[in-house]
Amino acid sequence: MAGKSQIAGSVVAGFPSPAEQYLEPPLDLNELLVRRPAATYFVKVEGDSMTGAGINQGDLLVVDRSLTPADGDIVIAAVDGEFTVKRYRTGFKTGADGRKRRFAALEPANPAYPTITVQRGRELLMFGKVTAVIHRL
Amino acid sequence: MIGLVDGNNFFVSCERVVDPKLNGKPVAVLSNNDGCCVSRSNEFKALGIGMGVPYYQLKDREYPKGDLFFRSSNYELYGDMSRRIIEVLRGMAADVMQYSIDEAFIRPPTPELGRLADYGGRIRSRILKWIGIPCGVGFASTKTLAKIANHIGKKLPEGVFVMPDEADGILAGLPAGEVWGVGRRLPAKLRAERIMTAKDLRDAPDDVLRSVGGVTLLRTALELRGVECHEDRDYAADPDSVSCSRSFGEKVGDAATLMEAIASFTAQAAVKLRRHGMLAAGCNVYAQVATPGLFERGGDWEGSFHGCTVAFPAPTDATNVMTEAIRRSIGALFVSGAKYRKAGVVLFGLEKAGAVHQTDLFRSEQRVASPLYRTIDAINARLGRGKVFSAAEGMRAPSWQMKRSKMSRRATTNWNELITVR
Repeated sequence: MAGKSQIAGSVVAGFPSPAEQYLEPPLDLNELLVRRPAATYFVKVEGDSMTGAGINQGDLLVVDRSLTPADGDIVIAAVDGEFTVKRYRTGFKTGADGRKRRFAALEPANPAYPTITVQRGRELLMFGKVTAVIHRL
Repeated sequence: MIGLVDGNNFFVSCERVVDPKLNGKPVAVLSNNDGCCVSRSNEFKALGIGMGVPYYQLKDREYPKGDLFFRSSNYELYGDMSRRIIEVLRGMAADVMQYSIDEAFIRPPTPELGRLADYGGRIRSRILKWIGIPCGVGFASTKTLAKIANHIGKKLPEGVFVMPDEADGILAGLPAGEVWGVGRRLPAKLRAERIMTAKDLRDAPDDVLRSVGGVTLLRTALELRGVECHEDRDYAADPDSVSCSRSFGEKVGDAATLMEAIASFTAQAAVKLRRHGMLAAGCNVYAQVATPGLFERGGDWEGSFHGCTVAFPAPTDATNVMTEAIRRSIGALFVSGAKYRKAGVVLFGLEKAGAVHQTDLFRSEQRVASPLYRTIDAINARLGRGKVFSAAEGMRAPSWQMKRSKMSRRATTNWNELITVR
């Protein structure tokens, strides 16, 4: 890794390994999938509301709370006290009176499920952005 | 300049991160064995239910705002959340000293010194966003003053307070007994000296302070004057002692079961010890009496403690060496006919493993960590806690094990208990 110095082995008698100066730690999936450990949570998928996005029953999701979700991101949010995984839709919509209003919705990736619109009186609590899906075969 | 960051209603806040339906509800976390309320949400406090109220008095009562929510202590979750908070602080502060599971002292980096309120706000919002825990932040010139600043900050909407140089008004409004480090018994003695508030304490003559509360109280007063007296250290990283204690699910009335429980606590304390890379010279073992024995001896009443001190043959981190030494001394602790409600083990005389000691003029020895237990810890870390254990801890399902009937998921430390999303 760039910028990181390494201590290469301990002093031993005998012939030095020709690979010694090339030694690097083995690949670590955490390094690939978890950018900010303090902000990362793993959650488990229950149900089939996101199959169109490649998220299936039993999959593990990597969720990074430090990232602010934008329109189109897949997110974990709590709606009425229950966690759900959906595609986040947000932006401005022009209403009947011609004024622009901010809207937010949670869109499933399966036609069998309805889109959850965030209206007054309904509580949506953003948990974090999904950054990876771990799907076992 | 020093800051104190602490989690608001920490245990409840952790529960809310993994269970959003607890938001806005009166929630309390219960102590060991679901005994009494040890952490309460603001909604719970607003109902006028105090800290330490026993659960059995509350469970069937009805409250106007709907149901009360209770959770058993989920230390696995709280410990992990605490670790995350420290990690975030390490990325933002020049130095971090964890003080307890929900509190840490920090030293702000130099560029932030001129804008502490703003810096505190950034710390707070990052911990809230990244982890989900609301915190209070206080800054002052010493740890004792930072504690007070934090207390004030927590009650402000912005959650941050920087102690002004001129703090007379604040200290005059704070009872002396609420100052960090002033013991529970001291206020009566202080009153006799007309020391009522933190300001009185700060301004009292040194000789009076020394005669009332010794050098400890004098140090507290110096800290209130802005003189740093508490040394910087990471309270969690290099402990003076390591301990494990539990209340029993059922009273324990026989020596064999008590020894099993104590062996199990010893094993858990030893895991902590090895994690710090330390060795212990000995331990204190104690058990709290629930029902006194038939033949009363001095100090044998309900709630009293039976204890013994055990010295290990040499400083060690090996569970089996400790258990064997304890087993030989347990006769001094157990009173026939007595029943116990709680027991604990405190390992003391800690030193770093691997240090070289001169035992006599011509010989030195190196005290090293046990390779056997390093292997056992590695196995248990991979396969789950308690997969490999010593038979001394008992082979049956223990009756003394803590009751945690309302425990939430260990959502951040156990793959089988993750949060589920639909």
